[in-house]
Amino acid sequence: MYRLHLASRYTFARPVSYLAMVAIGLAVMALIVVLSIMNGFLEETRSFLRGTTADIVVFPHQARYAYSRDVLEGAVAEHPDVASACARLVRPGIFKVHGRPPVFHGNSLSASQHQVLVLGVDAKSEIKSTDFAEYLDRVENPEFRVADPSDPFDLPVEDIREREFLYTQSPTVLISEEMMRGLLLQRGDALTIVTVPDSALQLDGAPVRPASQTFLVTGAYNTGHYSHDQANVYMSTEDFRSWSGTQHEVSELYVAVSPAADLSVVRDELDAKLRSIGLAGQVETWEDRHRVWLGAVENERNILLVIFLFFLLLVCTITFSVLTMMVQQKVRDIGILSAMGAPAGGVGAVFAVCGIYIATLGGLFGLVSGVALAANINKVKDALENLLGIEIFKKEIYAFSEIPVALDHTLNIAIAGVTVVGAVLICMMPAFRAARMDPVEALRHE
Amino acid sequence: MNDTGAVLPADSDSGPTSMASAGEAPQEPREPVLSARNLVRGYRMGEQTLEVLAGTHVDLYAGESVAIMGRSGSGKSTLLHSLGLLDRPDSGSLVVHGVETTTLTRSARARLRNKRIGYVFQFYHLIPELSALDNALLPRRIEVGPLRWIGKQKEMREHARALLDELGLSTRMAHKPSQLSGGERQRVAIARALMSEPTLLLCDEPTGNLDERTSEVIADLLFQVSVERSHTLVLVTHDSDLAARADRRFQLHEGKLEAFGA
Ligand SMILES: Nc1ncnc2c1ncn2[C@@H]1O[C@H](COP(=O)(O)OP(=O)(O)OP(=O)(O)O)[C@@H](O)[C@H]1O
Ligand SMILES: [Mg+2]
Repeated sequence: MYRLHLASRYTFARPVSYLAMVAIGLAVMALIVVLSIMNGFLEETRSFLRGTTADIVVFPHQARYAYSRDVLEGAVAEHPDVASACARLVRPGIFKVHGRPPVFHGNSLSASQHQVLVLGVDAKSEIKSTDFAEYLDRVENPEFRVADPSDPFDLPVEDIREREFLYTQSPTVLISEEMMRGLLLQRGDALTIVTVPDSALQLDGAPVRPASQTFLVTGAYNTGHYSHDQANVYMSTEDFRSWSGTQHEVSELYVAVSPAADLSVVRDELDAKLRSIGLAGQVETWEDRHRVWLGAVENERNILLVIFLFFLLLVCTITFSVLTMMVQQKVRDIGILSAMGAPAGGVGAVFAVCGIYIATLGGLFGLVSGVALAANINKVKDALENLLGIEIFKKEIYAFSEIPVALDHTLNIAIAGVTVVGAVLICMMPAFRAARMDPVEALRHE
Repeated sequence: MNDTGAVLPADSDSGPTSMASAGEAPQEPREPVLSARNLVRGYRMGEQTLEVLAGTHVDLYAGESVAIMGRSGSGKSTLLHSLGLLDRPDSGSLVVHGVETTTLTRSARARLRNKRIGYVFQFYHLIPELSALDNALLPRRIEVGPLRWIGKQKEMREHARALLDELGLSTRMAHKPSQLSGGERQRVAIARALMSEPTLLLCDEPTGNLDERTSEVIADLLFQVSVERSHTLVLVTHDSDLAARADRRFQLHEGKLEAFGA
């Protein structure tokens, strides 16, 4: 009984034990928060990449064939695990807002906002194969939403804002909410998008005449990923073809695979299949396509585990020194306990229990505060930004509009648990020393 | 004051011993509570060995009081540590309640110490984090396991309260040692020593740190409890007046105990 009793008195009577608890707690908290954010990044990145990329992408070799979309889609759709396939046309473009002068900084066009990847898609198959419908739904400002989500490239006549386009049957474009906001655009506004047509690239050295057309904005999409949204606009495949003059029907084929299937197996089978019917191309899973980025996040997570070891060492050092100090200050008490008839093991246990108290309470504090902080990280971030007047989380850098967090409770408990166990184990050393102390010497201790 | 007889039942082992305070050592051939033979204890300092106890003999009987005097450094504390089973002598025999203790394991000696021996030190040696009551309870807490403690807790607390009350500390139960005077601290230490109803009360200069009046009070207390409860009182002291009150007196000289008269 005296072990628990004395240990609690020893522990809770000294500020330094609270300090040690806080230190352990902070270490655990920091790790939980950082790992949660890291996991959030990874999860968000994966879901985003998966959403905007589809499960498998087929790139036909453009130089050799002008692939027939129907043939390619048909060949892919024959695979039993393929749920749907949609062809996309992709081409870089430069746009400017109709009726506004282009903004120049020095000699270059201002800002990446004006350089985009133009995606020519078939809205219906895009909705079937990717998260396209969700991106239309995620638009926050109701004024930016398209009139009809099932036909996002349709602009009702009453939404056309400039008279000159009223009777022109202008092509339409879907841009991101971010662009709408950044460029102060509204539905029905007009954009001029310029690109280099295929024909201009046929002859080396020939003068290049750009292809240019004016599009009306039907509304916005929002993937929630800043960098994607800054750089991509959608239009229908028909508008894309007439704008760019391309002969191709497919730049890339997005393939949705049934959830149970193994992507890399399907990939290899599709590859073999396309080769066998003479449609050579490149077949990649979404993970293949983004392996550099995914690998980087994954790798950072592994680095964090190494850092965790250092944190663990730090925690062990702190508890070890606090407990060693406690034993040193309590030498006399050790003598007293022995004189009262406490066995050596009991004396050691008093200090071991002190270590257990410090480690467990510290770990618990870290677990709770870490999970609480991680769960509310964006609120905390906003509050801090308001308070300090600086931008802590630059969404331009991270491609996410808010800090992504994924709480992995097993991992969090494991972090706290391993820390506590490590601290408790290291506490056994000073406790053992206390147990082995000679009682007479301890009593004589000044 | 409480009816201590009810709270502290007389130790049936020691029998009627109130006569022991009469002066002389008991005459009838009784079993000593503690019997030390030829105790040798030295400290090795480099090449040399400092022989502090060099063949000490002593028999202690139930309920008697014994004073041990001697120069500073003569080994009085060392002897007390040996008699109290805190220290293991290098050689010799030490029988406590018929048990040869020099060959016992450390934990067996600890158990015996817990049940049979109460220590009172010059510098009180209370645990600073514990209240007077908790300090007094410490030996019982050590003795009783956590599960049994839950059942016995109330009874133990009553016992400790009664004891502290008896020692004049009824209003100091919750005080920490730092909130007590020296005399009060020593009384808490005495309460603690008496808590497990030991047969041997070993006091190492219990009044060494107190003023004259307080010393007297503490000394009265020690002799009184030893008589009332028939504890064997061993008193190490530099104060010859105090020593004079003991049944028997010894001088520790050159590692040996020599009896001397009043
Ligand atoms: N751990 C040790 N190592 C070496 N010598 C020691 C040790 N402990 C005690 N001594 C020596 O043993 C001798 C006896 O010490 P002890 O404390 O028993 O004396 P004492 O009679 O109690 O003295 P005092 O009246 O001053 O308390 C002293 O000379 C001391 O130096
Ligand atoms: Mg001494």
